[in-house]
Amino acid sequence: MMDPQTYSIVLFKSLSHALLAEKILKEADIPHKLIPVPRHISADCGVCLRFASDMLDPIEHALMGRVEINRITPL
Amino acid sequence: MEEIVDARGLACPQPVILAKKALEQHTRIVVYVDNAAAMENIRRLGAHLKCAVTIDKKDDGIYHIHLSRGPGDLALPEASDEAFAQETCQSARSGPLVVAIASETMGRGNDELGGILIKAFIHTLLQIDALPERIIFYNTGVKLTAQGSDVLDDLKRLADAGVEILVCGTCVNYFGLSGLIGVGTVSNMFEIAGTMAAAGRLITP
Repeated sequence: MMDPQTYSIVLFKSLSHALLAEKILKEADIPHKLIPVPRHISADCGVCLRFASDMLDPIEHALMGRVEINRITPL
Repeated sequence: MEEIVDARGLACPQPVILAKKALEQHTRIVVYVDNAAAMENIRRLGAHLKCAVTIDKKDDGIYHIHLSRGPGDLALPEASDEAFAQETCQSARSGPLVVAIASETMGRGNDELGGILIKAFIHTLLQIDALPERIIFYNTGVKLTAQGSDVLDDLKRLADAGVEILVCGTCVNYFGLSGLIGVGTVSNMFEIAGTMAAAGRLITP
């Protein structure tokens, strides 16, 4: 489990956007994980979607036009 | 100049004894300790001896605790160093930190939200300073330890980090999850009740 994988996160305007995105990615079978927003990125008690950075294209493609994204940033 | 007392790697009551001895000779000391329990004990010592106490946690996890007292006003307790230190240590809550996860949700009211919160809680456990010694799962909480659970990777990391994970066998059976538990040990009520009873602190999110 301790892979040297690099991750990125998708940040959303609200929790409901994050949940919708999670649903879309589950249906599309794209690996991802809902995690708390890291403290160095925001002090909010929010959640974001973490994904392996090399999955950026399929993630963007799946979410594009279907759910509003705040931003995507490396973790 | 502050007298430096390096108590890193020492178990209670040693840091307290060393700090007290140093305070008998010096009015200002700084104690280095490497865990929160020792920090609390030194803080308690300082309060007991009417010292001004400031605590500085460094990036490497080492606490620098500065204690200073006015000249000549050290309120020395009657008891011997050893007895005093033991008493200071024992007044800290002793026993391991245990987390009991009784449900696949965190809090009550909305299960969708609760499901997100419990996942976030387990993920965040990896990042707190003092890992729990054990995590117990029972009732619908056992579903979090089964194949396909979103937090299975986090739980495996916790297990790799030395956290013992106990999963209620009766509950596993009830939900038809026998053979599908992906982390930890399937356990019984004797061990679960014993672990809870022996805990210094018990967290039920």
